[in-house]
Amino acid sequence: MNKKLLFLSSFLFLLISMNCNSQKSNQYIARQGEMSFFSYTSAENIKANNDQVLSLIDFSTGEIAVSILMRAFKFEKSLMEEHFNESYIESDLFPKASFEGVIQNLDPTHIGTQTRIVKGDFILKGIKKTLEFKIDINKIGDVLSVKGEVEILVKDFNIKIPPLLSPNIAKSIQVTFNFDYSEYEN
Amino acid sequence: MKIRLYYVVFLILISMGSQQLWAQDLLSKLVKEEVKEPSYAMSTFKGNRLSIGHSVETRKKGALEATFMSRYWNTIEESNNNFIADRMCARFGVDYAFTDRFTAGIGYGPPNGIADGYIKYRFIRQGIEGEGSPIGVTGLQTATYRSRQLTGIENRDGFFDRTAFTTQLLIARKINSSFSLQISPTFVHRSSSSNPIDDNNHFALGFGGRYKVANHVSVVSEYYYVANELESIETYGAFALGVNWDVKNILLQFTMTNNQIFTEDTFITQTSRNFNFKDGNFFFGFNATYFIQL
Repeated sequence: MNKKLLFLSSFLFLLISMNCNSQKSNQYIARQGEMSFFSYTSAENIKANNDQVLSLIDFSTGEIAVSILMRAFKFEKSLMEEHFNESYIESDLFPKASFEGVIQNLDPTHIGTQTRIVKGDFILKGIKKTLEFKIDINKIGDVLSVKGEVEILVKDFNIKIPPLLSPNIAKSIQVTFNFDYSEYEN
Repeated sequence: MKIRLYYVVFLILISMGSQQLWAQDLLSKLVKEEVKEPSYAMSTFKGNRLSIGHSVETRKKGALEATFMSRYWNTIEESNNNFIADRMCARFGVDYAFTDRFTAGIGYGPPNGIADGYIKYRFIRQGIEGEGSPIGVTGLQTATYRSRQLTGIENRDGFFDRTAFTTQLLIARKINSSFSLQISPTFVHRSSSSNPIDDNNHFALGFGGRYKVANHVSVVSEYYYVANELESIETYGAFALGVNWDVKNILLQFTMTNNQIFTEDTFITQTSRNFNFKDGNFFFGFNATYFIQL
């Protein structure tokens, strides 16, 4: 009798705990996140935009994931876009870049903007690097947006720049992003 | 009591486990959210021209290219006292992409005085990741006009007698990121023939390939087989072996070939020398294409 009760109660507990989890999962998705990168040198300024970046954020745990389709970056000069995909990023072999991290000390109950540090792994061209950068999280009701800036070093990701072109491409690339999220239905 | 403790530990573990499972999947959830848009293979070849002939590539809208093409060779008859080479010939051209699929160009070549123009339309673009078309298909139509009064295999009496037209279907496949192949059924029509035994229409088949040896450097080769060759002169298939090197806005093409004319109708049907390294047979080609985005 006692054992039966215990079993039943444990089963109930399990159910409740699982239920708790799904209720707690307040996840948000950005399907058309904007991301730009800039390379400033005295010889040439290069800029590219991508407005198809995917991102998912778990507001209860502070986890954030970003998936970037490399060929969706658009350049002013079509030849640059070709070189970017064909020679530098090799988007045939590495179609996507991704980021997976945790927002440190995220306050899920905070209304308005909070600036937090996010720390996680960025994978580009199959190379994983730990990045730490500041982001602004703005949440009012169900409206959530995240924006920020991060610097990427070209040499970290096996991007080979021929000596002739090295004055035209910056050593560190500035990446800015702005994601608008909506509630994610599992 | 002991059993109860086990249960509690077990339950805690399970609930933790489920939470873990819940959290780790953010990236894989994103994979499910990806919108499949048709995307096409980029850069099957690097330029409008493979080395001597056209490639399946067209440029993106608004791209203007200024091209300088040249060939240098020595003759058997003369002593090699000249600087670099005994003879040279060139073509200056402009190519413009009206849309992502439609490119047109014009050119003029001294000292032969051949003016040419072409239009090129990309019918089918090769898909990627096993979706869409396995090949890319581009149609090319060229027209040439011989402005100089020289003896040739064509008559040069009236305006129309001096023209020739080439129609090509360029079929290519980017097999992997560094290797691409092209096959091009070709029809050449020459408006006149000075010798009645020559046919005005020729059928040919072009073969081309490129192999990327480095990110900016590729080795390219082309060969043209002519089904009904000229009868009045002995001709060989046009062959080219070269290196393409893209530097910033410039594409440099270095070629070893067996012909000196830049227009399709001429080099496909009228190449009179076999490919080897002897004077008179060996032609060194150098093309520079400057890219401007309008």
